[in-house]
Amino acid sequence: MDTGATSRRTFLRLVGYSVTAAAGAGLLGGCGDKAAEGGATQKLDALAGVLPEAGPLPAGIPTPDIVSTRPVADGYTRFPGTLVDAVAQQPGAGGKPISAMTPAWGPAPPSGADNGYLTAVNAKLGTPVEFSVQDGNTYAEKLGAVLGARDVPDLLCVPGWEVSKLARFGDAVQALFEDLTPFLAGSAVKAYPMLATLPAGAWRNACWNERLMAVPNPTDNPFPFVLFYRKDLLGKASLGPPTSLAELHATGKAVTDERKGVWAFDNIFAMVQMFHKAPGSKDGWRLKSDGTPEFKYETQEFRQAAEFMAKLYAEGLVHPDVVASRGADAKQLLQSGKILFKQDGMGMWQPMQAEQQNVTPGFDVAPVPLFAAGGGTPLAWGDDEPISYTFVKKGLGKERVEEILRVVNWCSAPFGTNEFNLREFGAEGKQHTRGPDGPVKTDLGFKEIQNQYFFISGRSPVVQPTPQTPKYVPDMLAYANATVTNLEKDPWDGLKFEMPAKYKAGLVPSEDQINDILRGRRPLSELDAVVKEWRANGGDEARELLGKALADAGR
Amino acid sequence: MKRRRRVPFRARLRRDWPLLAMVLPGALLLLVFHYVPVLGNVVAFQDYNPYIGDSPLQALLGSPFIGLENFRALFATPAFWDALRNTLSITAFQLVFFFPLPIALALILDSIMSKRVRSFVQTVVYLPHFFSWVLVVTFFVQMLGGAGLLAQELRQAGIDPPEIMTNPDTFILLVTAEVVWKDVGWGTIVFLAALSTIDPHLYEAAAADGAGRWRRLWHVTLPGLRPVIVLLLILRLGDALSVGFEQFLLQREAVGRQAAEVLDTFVYYHAITTGDYGFGAAAGLFKAAVGLVLILLANKVAHLFGERGVYARS
Amino acid sequence: MRPVWEEPPSVAGQVAKGSVLTAVVLVVLVPLWVALVTSVSSRETINASGGLVVVPRGIDLSAYRIIFSGGQISQALWISVLVTVCGTAVSLLVTVPAAYGLSRPGSVGHRGLLFFFLLTFLVHPGLVPSYLVVTGVGLKDTLWALILPSALNVFNFVVVRAFFQNLPGELLDSARVDGAGELRILWRIVLPLSKAVVAVVGLFYAVGYWNIWFTALLYIDDNEKFPIQRVLQTFILAGQTPQTSGTAVGTALPPTLAIKMAVVVVTVAPIAAVYPFVQRHFTRGVILGAVKG
Repeated sequence: MDTGATSRRTFLRLVGYSVTAAAGAGLLGGCGDKAAEGGATQKLDALAGVLPEAGPLPAGIPTPDIVSTRPVADGYTRFPGTLVDAVAQQPGAGGKPISAMTPAWGPAPPSGADNGYLTAVNAKLGTPVEFSVQDGNTYAEKLGAVLGARDVPDLLCVPGWEVSKLARFGDAVQALFEDLTPFLAGSAVKAYPMLATLPAGAWRNACWNERLMAVPNPTDNPFPFVLFYRKDLLGKASLGPPTSLAELHATGKAVTDERKGVWAFDNIFAMVQMFHKAPGSKDGWRLKSDGTPEFKYETQEFRQAAEFMAKLYAEGLVHPDVVASRGADAKQLLQSGKILFKQDGMGMWQPMQAEQQNVTPGFDVAPVPLFAAGGGTPLAWGDDEPISYTFVKKGLGKERVEEILRVVNWCSAPFGTNEFNLREFGAEGKQHTRGPDGPVKTDLGFKEIQNQYFFISGRSPVVQPTPQTPKYVPDMLAYANATVTNLEKDPWDGLKFEMPAKYKAGLVPSEDQINDILRGRRPLSELDAVVKEWRANGGDEARELLGKALADAGR
Repeated sequence: MKRRRRVPFRARLRRDWPLLAMVLPGALLLLVFHYVPVLGNVVAFQDYNPYIGDSPLQALLGSPFIGLENFRALFATPAFWDALRNTLSITAFQLVFFFPLPIALALILDSIMSKRVRSFVQTVVYLPHFFSWVLVVTFFVQMLGGAGLLAQELRQAGIDPPEIMTNPDTFILLVTAEVVWKDVGWGTIVFLAALSTIDPHLYEAAAADGAGRWRRLWHVTLPGLRPVIVLLLILRLGDALSVGFEQFLLQREAVGRQAAEVLDTFVYYHAITTGDYGFGAAAGLFKAAVGLVLILLANKVAHLFGERGVYARS
Repeated sequence: MRPVWEEPPSVAGQVAKGSVLTAVVLVVLVPLWVALVTSVSSRETINASGGLVVVPRGIDLSAYRIIFSGGQISQALWISVLVTVCGTAVSLLVTVPAAYGLSRPGSVGHRGLLFFFLLTFLVHPGLVPSYLVVTGVGLKDTLWALILPSALNVFNFVVVRAFFQNLPGELLDSARVDGAGELRILWRIVLPLSKAVVAVVGLFYAVGYWNIWFTALLYIDDNEKFPIQRVLQTFILAGQTPQTSGTAVGTALPPTLAIKMAVVVVTVAPIAAVYPFVQRHFTRGVILGAVKG
């Protein structure tokens, strides 16, 4: 009887089961494999010839305060006093406006002439960019529609984490987007010096079907998950961050107090796997000592991790809200001190600290230093996949593509340049004011600037100063640089996969059963049966593909 | 009907053209915005690749036809049958334990004499319909979950709280309770409208014949509501394979797939997240076929009981 | 007012009815109350309660201030009112005549057309084909894209048709004998008797248009034309940076529970305000008067 309302159910019916998943998109930010369908592999190694030559950063930009180990970006603890010009020539030839689609998280900024920020940047560009800013949480659905209908703008931003949600993306790229190899490969990139500063790893990820198809926007840190804890609250209980599995468990037991409504944990299974050194970077694949691929389910480490996590559930150390619904607001629980440990991306840290330190005196959230369950060196999951890719519509003509790439080049100017400052903070006196600690966005700035130009750029990544939370940059980079030395080696690094559809579909029931094991609905002993079923449902097929890919790449 | 057929077509057309003209705008809208895009469901019989050829239309025409392969794959998936079984049990359960409630509530509301009370109650009970499922489930968790109001009260009293939100065995009760909370008030609207069309004279006459409150309910009110009840029942059956989606997605981990997988979530995981459009379209057509069969059957049964149903007897 | 023929209510019956209704109302009101209270709570209060707030501690309207600042909401409200009013009008103008036109079995093409309508209840088009059609007929980035594709809801059509079929047949027949045209019968006789169902279906449509969100996501790129739910949605989801991204892709506005709840209040309040007007048409005796007259 739900006639009128836009329930998601109506939506699923509306699409006649044909396409995309508006359904629960915000809920399902799962970490997927970057794959579509078909079972083909692309070798990027053989493609060294299509990658751009590396070039220097513009002269005169300040040296970083903290130098990092790649793929962690360098950090700045203060904004530079003087800025340099990076792009001398106006990029646009005054042609017709360039249409672009980008994601944003938050209220949509004003469009066109109503937005002073866009007007200011467009004036610098010479050729205006007209943005269609789409809700980031439903971006995959919008992408599914415009790709399927082949109704793409001149510049399209595709965030890295959405790629896996888009069916046959490799085919889509080939059908819809301009091959940028002739424009950027080798020394050709010299026409776009800002793009030449991007790390090679990011460029390698921007190849599809053995061609350079997009401008990557490189990541500033490679870690998908960090275990955060309430340092202030643990401190009050005279506890420090756990340094071993036993301590994690003991701390969890010590702080859980059901009567006070306090439980220790969010669902922290990814971190528990990491502590046990189960494989995770290549979607859970690694090589056995004999050189054959094995999946995390088949490893002893995963089994132990599952056993430990099942124990946390069984002993009631995970907050019941998290147990009962995927819609639980675990961030709020952490802020309220109703849970003390939460796994999340690095992106959670600074905004939460900045907001909550004004609400709760002494509020302090920090990452638990990574440890290994059995002692020794830990294992960190991660990769250098870019934040987003910018694609250029196919068939616009050579000159237009060059103009567009010059615009992208302008938008890609790094930290310390006037271009970067305008792109990031708008015009002084309007979108930002200049305080003693550097630029401070005004209300108008917050309203008008939603990373529009950031998402059509690739910029040499840095960790920017955060004057509100002065400890953040050093703390974050200390954690990241300590952790990055233990980054999991990816034997398939640089190879792009198109996993078989059967494998992807077969993963779901296996994940469900493992979830049953964690929650105590099945005994741990059933893990063997799960593995067997997983192998039959495409697991062995995937193994063969992965093994063959390595052999083909000559590794 | 047979008698009418004897009227020559031209004469009937001359007689009925105003009716046809009234239907025309609606039919045109459906044709353009429903039937034209519905043709895209042909991918159910294809190994569909949206990116071959120069246009979406060419992709549709150029993708290889593979007959009933998608359907075969659908029926060969054990999880599909689990999902189907769950869906049908929940539909059956809710037909018994949810469907009558809006009718009962409508009857109670209708019997309230004070206009102001009635208006207030009606407005209040229909509002939860506009809450998103995330919010509804959150409210249930806050009340009945392990950290919820009930559990904390019990703990203070030294009693171990029961598992309400995470028990797979009672999940069907939980989801039905959630549906009742969300939609019982919304569901009364049609019945309240139907109640208003019952001729008050019938009540007066029944009362004059000595029929009491309950007899009037049985002999006047319910017969008056019957056509609408039958109609909504048939439509619900046509939609029997939809029992909700987000509600189940949200609580999937809490009770496990065995309990929470329904057809819509199955399709979501097996076709939409894997990008297997043909498989998904096949599932959609299967669902439509089941719905069609159920509607036809239900309508036949309705005719047997002398009801009009959705469409008239031919 | 109790009719004269009805016996006075029994005490037991009144008590039973009263307690059922009180229970129902309470079960609904408490969460509504919680949503309202949370929406006017400060971050401190929300943190202290660990989430939703039951007992108010001071009133903090900053959530509403954030939502209503910037003028975007007032623009979107205007758009939504426009879409809801025009959409409902269009929908009723299409649905009611269609339902009447197909309410008489035996008319030309009746069976085929009826199935043409009913089948849309079962088979649904895919997203991309729909997108192609809406774009193809030039509706993209116009408000018509929010109205026309869903202007005729077959569920509503079936309900209206059923009510029409339950009208006393002698009324229509006598009008026909008097030589009245079909349009005149619909307008002068059928509609006045069907205020209740038209009100109900109008409500269903209006609520549907008011809640339009996903179609706007697909078809409206110009944010000056965003309807209210499309804008409010961005407040609910603001700051939910994707899990898989290690990078903070800047969010200007961290969401608080208060904002989420304020969005719920802003969404539900107009709907609560409209309902009493719809209810007014659920009055007994319209048909009786017509038959007598």
